[in-house]
Amino acid sequence: MTAGSVATSTAHPASVAVLDQIAGYERPTKRDEAWRYAPHSQLAQLSFGPPHTPAPPLPGDVEQQIPAIEGPTIVIVNGVFDSVHSKLGDLPTGLVISSLAAAATIEPERLDRHFPPMAHDAFMAANLAFGTDGAVIRVGEGVCLQTPVHIVDILVPGEDHNGSCTGVVIDLGPSSSATVIETRIGGSSADQEVAGGSNVRTTITLAASASLEHIVLQDLPRSLVHLGAVEVTQAEGSEFLGRSFNIGASFGRMAYQVELVGDGARTELSGLFFGRGEQVLDQQITVVHGAKDCVSTQSFRGVLDDQSVGVFNGGIDVRPGADGTDATQSNANLLLSNRAEINTQPRLEILADDVACKHGATVGQLDETALYYMRSRGIPAEEARRLLINAFADQTLEGVGIETIRDWVIQRLGHTDD
Amino acid sequence: MLHVENLTASIGGTPILKGLDLSVGSGEVHAIMGPNGSGKSTFAHALAGREGYEIGGTAVLDGHDLLAMEPEARAAAGLFLGFQYPVEIPGVNNMYFLRTALNSVRKARGEDEVSARDFLAIANEAMALVEMKQDFLHRAVNAGFSGGEKKRNEILQMAVMQPRLAVLDETDSGLDIDALRVIASGVNSLRGPDRSMIVITHYQRLLDYIEPDFVHVLVNGKIVKSGDRTLALHLEVNGYADFVDGKNEVDGHSLSGATT
Ligand SMILES: Nc1ncnc2c1ncn2[C@@H]1O[C@H](COP(=O)(O)OP(=O)(O)OP(=O)(O)O)[C@@H](O)[C@H]1O
Ligand SMILES: [Mg+2]
Repeated sequence: MTAGSVATSTAHPASVAVLDQIAGYERPTKRDEAWRYAPHSQLAQLSFGPPHTPAPPLPGDVEQQIPAIEGPTIVIVNGVFDSVHSKLGDLPTGLVISSLAAAATIEPERLDRHFPPMAHDAFMAANLAFGTDGAVIRVGEGVCLQTPVHIVDILVPGEDHNGSCTGVVIDLGPSSSATVIETRIGGSSADQEVAGGSNVRTTITLAASASLEHIVLQDLPRSLVHLGAVEVTQAEGSEFLGRSFNIGASFGRMAYQVELVGDGARTELSGLFFGRGEQVLDQQITVVHGAKDCVSTQSFRGVLDDQSVGVFNGGIDVRPGADGTDATQSNANLLLSNRAEINTQPRLEILADDVACKHGATVGQLDETALYYMRSRGIPAEEARRLLINAFADQTLEGVGIETIRDWVIQRLGHTDD
Repeated sequence: MLHVENLTASIGGTPILKGLDLSVGSGEVHAIMGPNGSGKSTFAHALAGREGYEIGGTAVLDGHDLLAMEPEARAAAGLFLGFQYPVEIPGVNNMYFLRTALNSVRKARGEDEVSARDFLAIANEAMALVEMKQDFLHRAVNAGFSGGEKKRNEILQMAVMQPRLAVLDETDSGLDIDALRVIASGVNSLRGPDRSMIVITHYQRLLDYIEPDFVHVLVNGKIVKSGDRTLALHLEVNGYADFVDGKNEVDGHSLSGATT
């Protein structure tokens, strides 16, 4: 393929079909519950199109934003696999990593779950139609990966369309286990800020008794938008640990749709969103209990400063027959400014018997007495605030074993100068 | 060392401190006693810089105009307040908190920060002083501590911070007899010619352990009587009846130890 050509020739058939229909999908509006707090005027500026190969060179400051995580790394720039920056040598046996475009050419039928024939909104349609490249990670039966796999998605807004679409497919075979980190960042090649957005859709399939830890670090520049969607399907006895750190972008959206289809599957979603300036950070979660004795938790914390807006829209659907369901949901928020706003809403639909379902939300401010206590010990006000914010956020880092990620998040929390 | 003149403090227009005068010399220990609600803690917090008061008058520590300073600057100037109600800070590690506090004041004074290793030695020495178990250092600040453990932690902090002036607000309340002895001996070992203390207490018993140079009676926002430690003995027997209800002067015959 030559520079500047359009990479549609390798697309999955469903992708081509959605592309034909793309004009028929209307963008969501404020009336759509799942998009109620989105800045629609910014979204209106986004334009999506087929990816251009090869990927453009990276602006200087982007590379150093990538957390230094040991292990295989696959880099995607503007929706195109970047072989220069990816590190895919010496993969352990049982781990296969390829670009999505290559996988679509070689064995498109294995991507049917990632490419359904219909989208449920215009941004998903754009992703299906234009997200023809990205990353595919497959872990074989019984394989337990010792090092995490790192997927780095980078947006450098281009000239003819400013949005990029990436597809990520993660398949874990029976009784396998892995950790996958998705870092989502961006930069601009121009001197001034340009509009743009990345649209990343991840589909995860966990076979029986498979176990995946999946971490999203969303830290795009605040001139850009991020639309993230993670769709998970879990077979019996599988375990999904999903953690999201939704920190960057003017509008950062993290949507999870988890389908518990096998008995005894467990899913644990947690996340931190930390907004400043006029950021809008939106978490849209739905966990569907479609089998017996599944356990799910959703535990999200928001820290909102300045005029930022947080959204937590958490759904639990317990389908008929999903007896023995245990589902909990919590959303705790810390408002650092009286202009900051949190919109938190549980959506519960329970159609089975013998279901334990708990949910709760809290909104608080920094504890003035604790601030004073620390200051009386000589700790400057700013530092005292930082300590309290970190203490609040720390719960979302519990159990994160990778030091680099903990440090990255804590460092980003202390970051106030951008 | 500390000179307080005509200090007033009100909350939402309600006067609490009504013109308080107090001078504390280097190395002196002053006890303040007074009925509930008389303004003892308010005095301590006015010195430490809690927000929410309308403040008047002056308070000068070693030439620093305390009332014009932020709480953290007051700490850097050498003030330490042992809280009557120490604050729980879940999620903030006690050791980290202490080290941050110490290094913050050192930094403010232009001194080198203490390394993690050197700090451990300082902390261990302070822990031994108040007979505190090591694991308290690794817990969150005061979170889930018993009342007495919190008070111990206050003195531990004082031992680490090595202040010029320590104001101890009812550090003895809620302590069992053994803990009282431990804490008192900890406090005594921190006494020295360069360190002054203001000890707020309801119980003369504490003053058996920590012998004050002066005792003051604070009633209704003012110091109405000052004397030596026999004044505390008088209060123990007679209570504050002699001083309340506007009777700021007491008949000489019943009052021993009064110097004013
Ligand atoms: N935030 C507040 N709003 C209104 N009144 C207050 C406030 N804080 C303190 N006060 C009042 O100020 C007075 C003095 O309180 P302070 O805590 O200084 O008393 P104290 O002498 O320390 O009493 P104690 O011996 O019970 O500790 C009390 O009447 C109290 O109710
Ligand atoms: Mg008091």
